Amino acid sequence: MSANTSIIMPGERVTLVEDAAKNKRVILGPGLRRLDDKVVASKAGPLRHKEPNTFWVDNYQRRYVPARGDLIIGIVKARAGDLYRVDIGSADMASISYLAFEAATKKNRPDLNPGDLLYARVLNANADIEPELVCVNSNGKSGKLGVLQDGFFFKCSLNLGRLLLRESCPALAALTEELPYEIAVGVNGRIWVKAHSMRETVGLANAIMALEQAGYSEIEKICGNLNGVVQA
Amino acid sequence: MSKTDAESDAKDKLRKMHCKFNPLSRCDGSVMYSQGATVVIAAVLGPIEVKTQNLSIEGSYLECNYRPKAGLPQVKERIREAAIRDVLELAILSEAYPRAKMSLQVQELEDRGSIDACALNAACLAMLIGGLPLKYSFAAVHCIINEKGDFVLDPEESDTLHQRASFTFAFDSVDGDLLLVQTKGAFKIAQFNDIECLCRQASAEVFEFYRSNIAKYHSTREDQPATTIESGHKDLPMET
Repeated sequence: MSANTSIIMPGERVTLVEDAAKNKRVILGPGLRRLDDKVVASKAGPLRHKEPNTFWVDNYQRRYVPARGDLIIGIVKARAGDLYRVDIGSADMASISYLAFEAATKKNRPDLNPGDLLYARVLNANADIEPELVCVNSNGKSGKLGVLQDGFFFKCSLNLGRLLLRESCPALAALTEELPYEIAVGVNGRIWVKAHSMRETVGLANAIMALEQAGYSEIEKICGNLNGVVQA
Repeated sequence: MSKTDAESDAKDKLRKMHCKFNPLSRCDGSVMYSQGATVVIAAVLGPIEVKTQNLSIEGSYLECNYRPKAGLPQVKERIREAAIRDVLELAILSEAYPRAKMSLQVQELEDRGSIDACALNAACLAMLIGGLPLKYSFAAVHCIINEKGDFVLDPEESDTLHQRASFTFAFDSVDGDLLLVQTKGAFKIAQFNDIECLCRQASAEVFEFYRSNIAKYHSTREDQPATTIESGHKDLPMET
């Protein structure tokens, strides 16, 4: 992914994308919209490009807007008949059917209580409907989806979530060298971590939150310091 | 552009602007913005849940709150809120999030002149950092005609004591169109036109301030150092 780091502001016409669109089909990601034959930005940030033909604006954002296929962490808020209402940080509450869990049947309902953390996938989402979640894939297997037990949950910006989910991010690998831990990263700006002791868990959470402010080059330093901080 | 001679009190430069992004942690985007000694905090939340009475299937509902430094909000604060909401309604892409609410809160920390323009600029910055979709960004500029008849751009509070007229203009970033005009006092139309030109030129500086601060914010959180390609963006429209 090449980073073309010129900042574009809302309302600006992005001729780079228009030129690319002359020869081939171009995908406009978040922050870009089409006005007749012009491509105009609607958010402020660096313009990013992924080969071969995807462009988007990488703006800073904390509020999550649900999109189909996203893996998110939600908090179960209430039970409404056959559905659970889950808070995923968007404008609307999401819903998840009790059948959308592995090995769930009408007689064998999942054991979910308000306050439980759920790692789920967004099944259906657009601006006009309430998002729906599932904890199984299309084969009926849950894999890593489902309830997250114990651990520590905190919120961050969407950018940090995406940074951690990148394959090339050294942060998680660097942290693995320091201490054993479990982590779930939701693209809705929510992260869950679990380590052996409370001290380690809190130290880990602080290290990840510090990544939000630090630049890329600082990742090694922050992760390297962790063991010393936890032992002290 | 008419200006009186060098010995006059005419001022055609904006005061120094500063901004700090995200001083508040519980909202979706916030900014502490200052122009000279006037300081304002603006925070946005959105898209969030909306009350049924305000629900619209065509777009988001825009809520605007302005709080003065001391005391409860009075009628003049409501007038400011209406002015801010009018500009925001033009700038926000409300079709993106129907049945939701975008909420803007502006808290005045210090009013030393040009508070309307300051509040609007802070609102724009908060929207930019909060990731709300906009059709264009906007900048507001305040100018007065002092008792001698000079045009004073972005005056200090002391300059406004015996002003003859005061003007606040808001411009958009794409074509430089007027989004808001607020005037007070007695003036000739020729003066109005001249001041509008003066303010439009000054707004270019505000847009440049937005761009450079957003670029700085992203570059401190970047993988590679961000290079803002100055020639990449088209020149802002100005009347010279």
